[in-house]
Amino acid sequence: MEIPYTVKPRPDTGLYNGKLGIWLFLASEVMLFGALFSSYVLLRVGAESGTWSMGLMNITVGAGNTMVLIASSMFVVLAWAELKQGNLAGYKKWKWATIACAVLFLVVKWSYEWPQKFKHYDVWLNDAAVVHDSFEKGYRKTALRPTDEAPKGVSVKEHVEGFYTTRYFKEQSDGSDGSKAQFKKAWDSGTLALSGHINGYEEAVINVQVGEWNADAGVTQDEAKEAITAAGGEADQALDGGTQVLKELDYDAAKRAEYALGQAGFKVTLSVARYEKVEAHPWFWRTPRVNEDIGGKPRVQSIILALDHSDDGEGHYEEIEIETRHISRLSAYEPKHSTFFGIYYTITGLHAAHVLGGIIVMLYNMLPIGLAVWHKDRERFTNRIETFGLFWHFVDLVWIFLFPILYIL
Amino acid sequence: MSDSHDSPDFLQYLIRLFYMVGGVLVAGTLITVLIDVMFHMPLPLAAIIGLAIALVKAGFVVAIFMHYKWDKKLLMITGTMILTFLFFAGMMGLIMWTEGDAPKLGRAEVSVFWAAAAALLGLALPASFTVLTIKLMSQPAPVEAPAPKAKRAVKKKKS
Repeated sequence: MEIPYTVKPRPDTGLYNGKLGIWLFLASEVMLFGALFSSYVLLRVGAESGTWSMGLMNITVGAGNTMVLIASSMFVVLAWAELKQGNLAGYKKWKWATIACAVLFLVVKWSYEWPQKFKHYDVWLNDAAVVHDSFEKGYRKTALRPTDEAPKGVSVKEHVEGFYTTRYFKEQSDGSDGSKAQFKKAWDSGTLALSGHINGYEEAVINVQVGEWNADAGVTQDEAKEAITAAGGEADQALDGGTQVLKELDYDAAKRAEYALGQAGFKVTLSVARYEKVEAHPWFWRTPRVNEDIGGKPRVQSIILALDHSDDGEGHYEEIEIETRHISRLSAYEPKHSTFFGIYYTITGLHAAHVLGGIIVMLYNMLPIGLAVWHKDRERFTNRIETFGLFWHFVDLVWIFLFPILYIL
Repeated sequence: MSDSHDSPDFLQYLIRLFYMVGGVLVAGTLITVLIDVMFHMPLPLAAIIGLAIALVKAGFVVAIFMHYKWDKKLLMITGTMILTFLFFAGMMGLIMWTEGDAPKLGRAEVSVFWAAAAALLGLALPASFTVLTIKLMSQPAPVEAPAPKAKRAVKKKKS
């Protein structure tokens, strides 16, 4: 049975059915996004000052993406206007332009904006003296950089203030000095987080000391032999009651050996042989992993942080080394970082899903299977493009509100 | 869109409008960014300005891109939208009520000056943009020189 499709507006509703349907769908979408917007507002107004990571967003990129979406919104309605004039070639031209814009939007979001946030870290230190010391080391060169006219700079504290008042202390509710007062409070108490890229770290190389074998552990001698051989040790020596050391394993290998040998009935202790510098960018590092304890010593002894905004004038970022014992918390700008990033990923993710869905529908309407409707019933296809346009404008509309609240407020 | 608006002339007029609205949206975005970069404002003021501009942009998108302006405004669309708006407003109202109820520990009060400035701008910005919108939209559709009024009188079917 085929559902009859009416192209003409119904006299009672004044709209053709498809259009009424899409408006009702959009109404439900308003409620969906409305709920998220309200949640955002509640969290925003409830946040203590200095905790809302606002200035971390790249406004230029955000504004650029807004323009891209605005352009796509305009192209989609122009495509419809071409169809209204019976011009299929014109429709295709504008529709491809729309698809290109939508793809560009997603590419910028998913290959640049989001990954950049996962690469940035905030590092909180547990002692005001260490915080100030790190700032001094990291920003000295930048702060004292001679200006163009005269060889004078600003103090490190002034430099840091300029940086952080646009980031965390942007909000000021008590006049023009509000953000400075908030900065001073955070500086004095040492609660400012250093932020930047982690360029490398010093990780432990581990010795695994294998002690006596416990014959009562419920493991046969053969199984124990097999376990110690697999771990790279001398089987006979171990079972005769002697101790031995499996030398210089990396963390994962040491942990595997510890587990396997422990299961086989050996007494195992780990100790740090030395620290080795790793020049790599860790992804998704979390404080517990960094602070993990190996025989009383940290797994990662120190991290090498290239501070944000510490350009020395030649495009280089000054690196500082921070011992992990001073670190109280460390996090990339992932959802766990803060409430802001939690809701940021939720809302932008849902919006991006809408854009993705829109791209799929647009591609369908460009394929022969979609265009067949045009050749059968032109008005019906035109209406179909119009209703899709309504959805697409709604997606644009959501972004129009998202841009100021996420990037600016 | 009703039949009287299907004429080629009207479509050309619409297309011109679409370009204009695109320009307005781009300008709105630029203004938002410029205001943010140039002035370091207290949050309530920044919020009102940013959202007012967003609201105006949204108005243009709904009225012209979604050609709501020319749709038959029956209860179906308008009613639905009013209901969703009420739902949203109620939700926001509850939030503001909750927030207003809680003592503002450790947070500075908004000074009278900034509150007044915010209120003024919050009223003036949408008002001025609304006037602009109405002016833009009440611009008559271009008509052919020989028979100016005939188009509206005779309901022309789509060619």
